[in-house]
Amino acid sequence: MASATPTPAAATVAPQFGAGGVRLFRAWTTLLMLSFNRLFWSMNTLMVLFPLVGCALFLVWRRYDRWTFAEGSFRAFSEEFMIFLFTSFVVPVCALAYATTSVGGDREDRTLLFLLVRPVPRWLILLAKLLATLPLVLGLVLTSFWVYCRLAGPIGEKAFWIYLTPVFYMTLAYVSLFHLFAVTFRHSTIVALIYSLFMEFLLGNMPGLVKRIAVNFYGRSMMYDLGGAEGLRSPDPEWFVPVSAWGAGCSLLGISAGAIVLTLLIFSLREYRDLT
Amino acid sequence: MLLVFDRVTKFYGPVIGVNNISCRIGPGITGLFGANGAGKSTMMKLASGQLRPSQGEVRVGEDRAWSSAAKRNLGFSPDINSFYEEMTGREFVYVMARLCGHTRRDARRLTEIALEEVDMVDRGDRRIGGCSHGMRQRIKLAQALVNDPPVLLLDEPMTGIDPGGRRDIGRLLVRMAERGKTILVSSHILNEVESLTDSILMIAAGRIVASGTLSEVRNLLDDQPFTVEITTDRAREMAARLIGIPEVLSVELRGESLIVRTLSPGSFFGRCADLVLSEQFVVHRLQTLDTGADAVFGYLQQGSA
Repeated sequence: MASATPTPAAATVAPQFGAGGVRLFRAWTTLLMLSFNRLFWSMNTLMVLFPLVGCALFLVWRRYDRWTFAEGSFRAFSEEFMIFLFTSFVVPVCALAYATTSVGGDREDRTLLFLLVRPVPRWLILLAKLLATLPLVLGLVLTSFWVYCRLAGPIGEKAFWIYLTPVFYMTLAYVSLFHLFAVTFRHSTIVALIYSLFMEFLLGNMPGLVKRIAVNFYGRSMMYDLGGAEGLRSPDPEWFVPVSAWGAGCSLLGISAGAIVLTLLIFSLREYRDLT
Repeated sequence: MLLVFDRVTKFYGPVIGVNNISCRIGPGITGLFGANGAGKSTMMKLASGQLRPSQGEVRVGEDRAWSSAAKRNLGFSPDINSFYEEMTGREFVYVMARLCGHTRRDARRLTEIALEEVDMVDRGDRRIGGCSHGMRQRIKLAQALVNDPPVLLLDEPMTGIDPGGRRDIGRLLVRMAERGKTILVSSHILNEVESLTDSILMIAAGRIVASGTLSEVRNLLDDQPFTVEITTDRAREMAARLIGIPEVLSVELRGESLIVRTLSPGSFFGRCADLVLSEQFVVHRLQTLDTGADAVFGYLQQGSA
């Protein structure tokens, strides 16, 4: 009954969350599994298979002196495939396919509302989404990376262990960054696509310090540094001065951590007025 | 448990959604209605913790509505038609129960109870994507009920439901209210709310323009004429006598019926009864025409404009 004066409290007793932490954990793991399953069984999985298969076909076609350790083949594989194709295109595409959908999909479908009215703190909702996305993207990227390296023969096997860390860090950074896009922009997939295919490319190839705001720059710096012993050389120092592998790794982890903290903060505070 | 709006104002940029609203909604069914853009949805979003007030406070029991603690006590059926379409109704409700922290066994049990409440037990295994609008409404209700919350917020719950279904849902809400639940039902169809409850919150231009029972609200509007229809076999003669009563503003003759307008219904009915007895008029029907929610809301909207 609506009234201007106090009404006696209801006889109904609120459900007791005596073991509040346990209940919260159950709710959170449910959300984690729900998010993982919905992402895995989505059309996105089918969509990312196209570039992944495309890369495999490219490797088969290009060969890279597959069964010999010819001079220059490691460098060619690193520059053409690892830097130009895999880390500049495949990794960001895989990351954006899932990272923007994990929150952005729920937001666009307006099913996010059903999550926001459950007794789970918002930051934990976002954390569940993030942790559901990460193993999926990392699994996909690292598995495909391993397959590509096998396809490339002995140089690929060598490259796998050299480039595993930069690929891992870059994937982590892209997933974190695209989650930030997802909680910030309504059509985050489009924004992320424009960012990864154009902004990253443009920024990453700008002269001077501007390129240092691109994830791709740090990934490439790591690869140039780590691959240097095998003959990989960084481009003309006039326009590309890489940072050390250690510095680049720290930067990528810093970008990831910063993006995650910012994402949690925005998601915890933001009103999503477009849900109803 | 109380749902409290304490001097709540919500701005959307320069636009004001609700303006200094204060009310306490206790156990029972309370109808919230207003025209589109009046502020109903903003109130619902504030109460369900989707929005934070720009000023003031919204509380569910002791907790601020925005907090996750408040949501333990809250069931919300939104006015959207979006679901996880690939799930069945049963799966959807089950997942919502699990998201409230229930064990698998409890969630299954609560899901069946909620589906039974909305009469969806037999149809619960249909994919939501293939469900009719009415079934989807029922599933939305079930997910709101599944945690057995003391406060229920139902945004346009009758939309798209056939008359039989409306009756069933009406009964369900009455049952819930009898169990002591606080239920806020918004609607822009006045008859829906009127048929569910006497307790009404009327909102117009972001303000609560009236609260209480419909008759209480109507009585507050003593500057508005009160319209009575009287059907009698000597209508013309009775009209001539009624026009002589000081409280009567006008009398309109419509066949065997008279439409009488008065500003003082209490004394009018007394004098009218005296007249009927003294002149031996046979009155077949006497009914007030504008105590219905539509008429009251119309007056209030005029007042707030």
